[in-house]
Amino acid sequence: MWDRLREWFSERKQKLDLFDETNVERYGNPLYILGQIVYFAWIVVVASGILLMIWYEPTTHGAYTSILRIQREIPFGWLVRGMHKYGADMLIIAITLRIYRMYFLGEYKRPNELSWMILFASLVLAMISGLTGYLLIWNQRAFWAAKVVLTVAVYLDQIPVLGNTHFGSAIAFAFLGGPAEGQGTLTRFYAIHFGISVLLLVLVEVYFIFTRRKRFTVSPGVLLLLILMLVATSWIFPAEMGRRADPNRTPLPILSDWYFLALYQYVKYTPPLWAGLGPGLLIGYGMLVPFLDRSKGRRPSERPFFTVVGIMALSYFLVFTALILFNIAVIGRDPHIVLLITAFTLTLGFVLEIRYRRKVRAAEAAAPRPAPRPVPAARPAASPGA
Amino acid sequence: MTEEQTSKGVNRRTFLQLLAAIPAVGAVAAFLAPFLRYLKPNLEPGLGVPAGKLPPNLAEGDLPKGEPLPIARVEELREPWSSKFFVFTQKYPQYTPEQAKAATVPGVAIKLPWKLPFPGYKQGQEPTDIVIFSRICPHLGCIFNYVPNWQEVTAGYGGYVPPPDRRHALLACPCHLSIYDPADRQVPGRVLSGPAPRPPRYFVYEIREGVIVVTAVEPGGIA
Repeated sequence: MWDRLREWFSERKQKLDLFDETNVERYGNPLYILGQIVYFAWIVVVASGILLMIWYEPTTHGAYTSILRIQREIPFGWLVRGMHKYGADMLIIAITLRIYRMYFLGEYKRPNELSWMILFASLVLAMISGLTGYLLIWNQRAFWAAKVVLTVAVYLDQIPVLGNTHFGSAIAFAFLGGPAEGQGTLTRFYAIHFGISVLLLVLVEVYFIFTRRKRFTVSPGVLLLLILMLVATSWIFPAEMGRRADPNRTPLPILSDWYFLALYQYVKYTPPLWAGLGPGLLIGYGMLVPFLDRSKGRRPSERPFFTVVGIMALSYFLVFTALILFNIAVIGRDPHIVLLITAFTLTLGFVLEIRYRRKVRAAEAAAPRPAPRPVPAARPAASPGA
Repeated sequence: MTEEQTSKGVNRRTFLQLLAAIPAVGAVAAFLAPFLRYLKPNLEPGLGVPAGKLPPNLAEGDLPKGEPLPIARVEELREPWSSKFFVFTQKYPQYTPEQAKAATVPGVAIKLPWKLPFPGYKQGQEPTDIVIFSRICPHLGCIFNYVPNWQEVTAGYGGYVPPPDRRHALLACPCHLSIYDPADRQVPGRVLSGPAPRPPRYFVYEIREGVIVVTAVEPGGIA
């Protein structure tokens, strides 16, 4: 068994593709330079982050003022901060779009399981990095976002047997660094925010050295365009400051970074234990989907159930984000509607899957001798735009 | 080698290798274990553990305490539904140079038009018309508001319409729209709507010469 595992692993390692650097011949389609955008945005974020560190002061009293100074006094401080913030947004958008591309086109299938899992884990790490970096401003929005997220963990103690270890509270305290959100939290978040990027950057550098691949396979013109986009965004929409954090006053409504908004709406609807379990299940599904999806085809129409689940996830993300932005939530009514829609959609996906499989079987029975199935290649035979 | 591998079960070499690995793994674990201390804040265990479920290693003296705080004279809260905000400072025993770290708990005192047994006043033995709650939402730790007009709750906190007998001042949290009734006769602070798992924590208070003095807050809760 050990040997089989090692064999499986080495095959995936050979085909590993972290930044779309093996898809060079398909760069005509912008969906296939997403990986390159991820890498580039990341480098921009790290470089601007180092510049910001020079002036940033990680204390509860000084953080907000120091960022105000970066924004208003330091030459081109607004630009560096804008590049950092919008570069991070670009990174998250590119990872998310790439995940949807790989999902809907079945690119997570053999031999790309490992690439998919690394990509998915990197989204989670990028979101943690976003959350921890966001608190460093020490403004109202970030303060309450962090408080809510850290308190969600406490409810994990309600899990029947496992909860007796109080591991949920332990997680919360490890991040809080004290009895309540304060200086300890800020210091730890600063360390995590910095640590995630540095650690991963080292690992990726090792990856590039061992595979001897080029770091940027996309043309310099594209990179220049990305830089110009970031500069223009920082110029037109200067990065927000918000209000200084006040632990005794919660603003109405509380919001967070845009990629957490859907999650926030979800937290309004569920009992607090499920506020923690739901995202956990979602991450688990994402990590394991290459093994759950046993269908042969790669096209969306060839695996109806997983396509329907993907469309549902995307729609919920968009609808929940819209709902929280307009502050619409009827607690007594909405959860039932959401559950009904989910049950209906999953059933629909199941029925479509069975119908599709029956049709395939009927077609196979009709043809007396089916052509031998080609060995799955590294890339789907379908055209990229399909 | 090939012969050994084809035979079923664990062969001698693998067994010995496994045996040798145990102390090696143990040594690495022993080296890494102290780094777990990095994660643990300087904080007594048991905070954030529900009341009555304190771990046995936590003595009574380790519980968070605060100085008694006079918040208002009784005359200030004469009108029904009048209220008073205050901030109570708890002291947590910690291994910091100062020996204690302050954490604040915002609270609200509310005058009700009727009397009810409230656990924070004479342990619920005697009905009272003043209730005092911690404003920390028991859901996820936001600070909730005292909203004197229930129509404001309907408009701003997710369209909840209270039943006719509860159309009075309510407590409402801006984060996830939990709504509480401070004047519920059975359970003061009953959850009317939203994801909150329990009523907000109460303050223990006494009336000393016409002054409302807050002495403690219901234990438990991280936020």
